[in-house]
Amino acid sequence: MQTKLLLVSAVAVSLLIADPAFAHHGTAGYDMAKIITLTGTVTKVDWTNPHIVIYMDAKDATANIQHWSLELSAPLLMQRFGWTKNSVKAGDQLVAETHPAKNGAPVGTSGTATFILKFVVNGTPLPVVSGTPPPHE
Amino acid sequence: MRNRRISFLKNLAVSVGLLCGAPALLAQTATPQPAARSSSRVPDLSGNWAVKPGGTSWDPSDPSGSKPEQLPLTPWGLERLRAARPPFGAKQTFDPNDPHQRYCDPPGTLRMYSYPWQFTILQTPAQIYLLFEYLHVWRIVTMDRPHPKDLDSTWLGDSVGHYEGGTLVIDTVGFNDKTWLDNVGHPHSDELHTVERLRRLNQDTLELELTIEDPKAYTHSFTSKRTFKLSSFPMGETMCSLSEDQSFQQHIMDRTVSSPAAK
Repeated sequence: MQTKLLLVSAVAVSLLIADPAFAHHGTAGYDMAKIITLTGTVTKVDWTNPHIVIYMDAKDATANIQHWSLELSAPLLMQRFGWTKNSVKAGDQLVAETHPAKNGAPVGTSGTATFILKFVVNGTPLPVVSGTPPPHE
Repeated sequence: MRNRRISFLKNLAVSVGLLCGAPALLAQTATPQPAARSSSRVPDLSGNWAVKPGGTSWDPSDPSGSKPEQLPLTPWGLERLRAARPPFGAKQTFDPNDPHQRYCDPPGTLRMYSYPWQFTILQTPAQIYLLFEYLHVWRIVTMDRPHPKDLDSTWLGDSVGHYEGGTLVIDTVGFNDKTWLDNVGHPHSDELHTVERLRRLNQDTLELELTIEDPKAYTHSFTSKRTFKLSSFPMGETMCSLSEDQSFQQHIMDRTVSSPAAK
């Protein structure tokens, strides 16, 4: 399956404020002002605490495959947002947005207790949660 | 859902009832001290209360923790704060020395109000139970008795309570100094004394007014407020497993602080 890494949007999302995330860690390692879109194949899903991790293979701009790891919130919170453990499975074709790591590693955060970015699995979108600022910030 | 909740609370009441003897015995062996007595009105604080994300710091004027040193810290407290590498706030890092995040140490009573999970309150005449789905921590608040003398220093401390009109007042001492007050690393000592005042503002809203006093860490006490919304979700499970946390740290967080970039 042809996969593409689409650096579609180095979108400035400053409206998502400085620290939109909240879980058991902050967002210090991620560039929260940037969202990129990945297209590829899911290789593994860790549906576990403290955070769900979705592993996917996606090609970069030079057609090299990169092994991405996308962090989401914890299983219980994701269930309350409408996801289930079967929402994403190994072998699925995935289009996913993520805030990439600042250091350029193929790691990103795609969801926390306050937002979930766009995920389209085999053509079907999953529930998205907009980046509502935390109540005290 | 309501039946499930009632069943859960009944089962829990039976379970915790077996444990009620310990604080009762403790109270009997303590030297009597003046204890606040409850008013006759007992407010209904039941429900599953959702903690809203974002309550990062207990500084009432800086809940996001952007200026963690502005609390009235003593030199001892300031030194402790500066040694902290917290996961949130102005000094947030992916390489923290947060004892909870690094080792799954208990986060302490006050940080339990900072994680985006639910808790429920079970009221009985002699004890109140605060049950948190995060880590499945449960706190006992023994009603209408003083703190025992010569308390051990523990993770949760010794909590006593009484009602003042529609407010449940929880007074806690006897903490160890191994936890932080909040997610930006504000410290405390074993002299920490907290007063939690919980009241239902309306059917769907619970208010916590928290007063923190710790003469070793802070030059004077301070008070902060948070509210919690009634949730329709049943209580769930979110544990802290050291093996799961270490795996996540290795596969996600450590890779974002390493250099050079892609691996």
